[in-house]
Amino acid sequence: MEVKTEQFSEVAKEELRKAYTFLKAGANFVRIRRETALSTFPDATAAQAYGAIIRAEAIARLPELLEEFEKNALANGAKVFWARDANEASQYIVRLAKERGIKYVTKGKSMVTEEIGLNEALEKNGVKTWETDLGEFIIQLLGVPPFHIVGPAINIPVAKVRDLFIEKIDLKEPTSDPVQLGHAARIFLRDKFHRVDMGIAGVNMAVAETGTIVNVENEGNIRFNKSSPRTQISVMSLEKVVPTLEDALHLVRLLCRNCTGQKLSVYVSMDNGPKKSDEMDGPEELIIVIVDNGRSRIYQDTIAREAMRCIRCGACLNGCPVYRQIGGYAYGWVYSGPMGQVLNPLLLGLEKTQDLYRATTLCGSCKSICPAGIDHPRLFLHYRAKDVSGDAALRAKKPPMMERIFFRLWMWAVTRYRLWNWGVRFVRPFVNKEAHEGMLREVGGLFKGWFRSRDLPAMAKKTFHDCWRETQKTEFRSQKRQ
Amino acid sequence: MDVVSVFIPCTVDLFLPHIGEAAVSLLRRAGVKPIYHTEQTCCGQPAINAGYREQAKKAAKHFIQVFGDDKEVVSPSGSCVCMVKYHYPELLSEEPEWRNRAEELSLRIYELSQYLVDILKVEDLGASFEGKVAYHESCHVLRGLGVSEQPKKLIRAVKGTQLVPLNAADACCGFGGEFANRYPDISESMVRDKAGDYLSSGADLLLLCEPGCLLNIGGFLSRNHPGKKVMHLASFLAQYQKTMNNGQ
Repeated sequence: MEVKTEQFSEVAKEELRKAYTFLKAGANFVRIRRETALSTFPDATAAQAYGAIIRAEAIARLPELLEEFEKNALANGAKVFWARDANEASQYIVRLAKERGIKYVTKGKSMVTEEIGLNEALEKNGVKTWETDLGEFIIQLLGVPPFHIVGPAINIPVAKVRDLFIEKIDLKEPTSDPVQLGHAARIFLRDKFHRVDMGIAGVNMAVAETGTIVNVENEGNIRFNKSSPRTQISVMSLEKVVPTLEDALHLVRLLCRNCTGQKLSVYVSMDNGPKKSDEMDGPEELIIVIVDNGRSRIYQDTIAREAMRCIRCGACLNGCPVYRQIGGYAYGWVYSGPMGQVLNPLLLGLEKTQDLYRATTLCGSCKSICPAGIDHPRLFLHYRAKDVSGDAALRAKKPPMMERIFFRLWMWAVTRYRLWNWGVRFVRPFVNKEAHEGMLREVGGLFKGWFRSRDLPAMAKKTFHDCWRETQKTEFRSQKRQ
Repeated sequence: MDVVSVFIPCTVDLFLPHIGEAAVSLLRRAGVKPIYHTEQTCCGQPAINAGYREQAKKAAKHFIQVFGDDKEVVSPSGSCVCMVKYHYPELLSEEPEWRNRAEELSLRIYELSQYLVDILKVEDLGASFEGKVAYHESCHVLRGLGVSEQPKKLIRAVKGTQLVPLNAADACCGFGGEFANRYPDISESMVRDKAGDYLSSGADLLLLCEPGCLLNIGGFLSRNHPGKKVMHLASFLAQYQKTMNNGQ
């Protein structure tokens, strides 16, 4: 997928003009559903904390768990391919398709396949791709990026879907009834499933203990992709591995509640390898592609690796006051919202993603919601510090000279209170030049962003420091008099 | 009489000293003796938020030296208290002696409403105000410190005051320090929503416990809805105190 992370501010501005009222109303609706679903746990706080511990362990033991997963998956009869980077992963899958004479593939929703640009690679090599998740199907036909990692088409009005289906999938009756439109998509995609020879899906959990692939979904298209073709390809990034089946099941309980407010998604499917010789149904081959794409390099940073705990529930997007204003496009790549803000900088480098870890108020909603226990604000500060220090491993860019000078001066003043007080006295007349009735509407052209729509109180004639010292003098004098 | 050390955020020192004076007055009313170390400057939040850890470390060490011997430290700012409580130990984690001092200090520092209600066990500070007020739950106060009931208890104890619900009270107001200036479109949209929720709450006054939020919401109201006021809880409680004997 094309990287547009450097256009964050322009795209955000454009998106704000659209004033997505559905986002704010929707976020509230989803929040209530999530809380109701979580309250079905005997102790929701403990359940969330337990999820965080499972993910913390999974990441702490990532290398050995991945090897254990491979061993058990192979024992189940699956094939496992380790892809160093996006190109290696997508070219491998292209090769598999060509070798098997595949004309088209059906796809279940998979963010990592967007990360590696799989659809483009397949199409370029004469293999047609059909997204079968309804939201992904819609955005594929429209040619737009995903708006939300769980609901990629939530911003597309029903009328637009109707017109799209009339144009692209031969919708006979022009209807705006979402159920009828869903049905039309189902009929169209049924035809694709009927003859599919290769299905590609993502992975929600890869269980190390048993070599099992776990998928959760509400539409059934993933199960179709996995079980009906001759060849099933399951693509996963490193971090999808979990230690045990019990762990996976607990995470599934958390994932569904946090994601859509369901106790369980409509379908939960688990694959222990391809069809066995005495089984009637199932794929003849199951090929698991494990994608690195920079993750083992990220793993070296013991703080940054926390971002890999993410289970892609999307709850952080729904809870984020910034996402609720701007929607998903501004984040500029596959992953949006707070989880994208902690992951994209690691995968793309800090220089290319400057705004992603700065366009946040550090309000902490994401951290308080996350079932994997990710401390997003801490990671944002970590990236900012790494960026300022020009860290090579994270591909940082050093800040402008003026900013570095400012903070050096600030540091001198902060550690020397007399210099601080003197600095305040020195700066005050300049700052307050345009003050009117105790308020500032501008300060010599600085801080334009603030003053566009806000005033600021003028710097007080006496700081608190001054007030206190005066009060002490008065009290001292009055004490002497007594 | 018990002594408590007051930590005045730089935003208050420079722009809103009356909040500091209100805090001092309330603490006196609650029966403690506030002291103020004139060597204090800033907790270092701007530096750590901008990624300047080395500079932030210097600020942290200065702070610890100024406040290190105090039995208790109180501040009318949730974000500054969070900075000292949670960031200082991590910031100084590579210097064990400083880290210990930071961890030690983190146990003794409080946000003002938290200190009044939880430590001094005072809720009624003798204020009275006829009217409706709404309360904005600042991010660092609510999510950072878990402080929410304490300000509301203080408000409910004010004679004649009705605390009305505020829609999306815990939604971020869009300040975020540098965020407000660097991403003004997003920040404005957020503060406009917050102002809108305030206006539709029917409250005569909006109260909060965070100077940053006050500058942001107050600044937006001043420019766009001049009649509507927002106040720091400390200023509100101090300003509307029933007249006492002018004995002093």
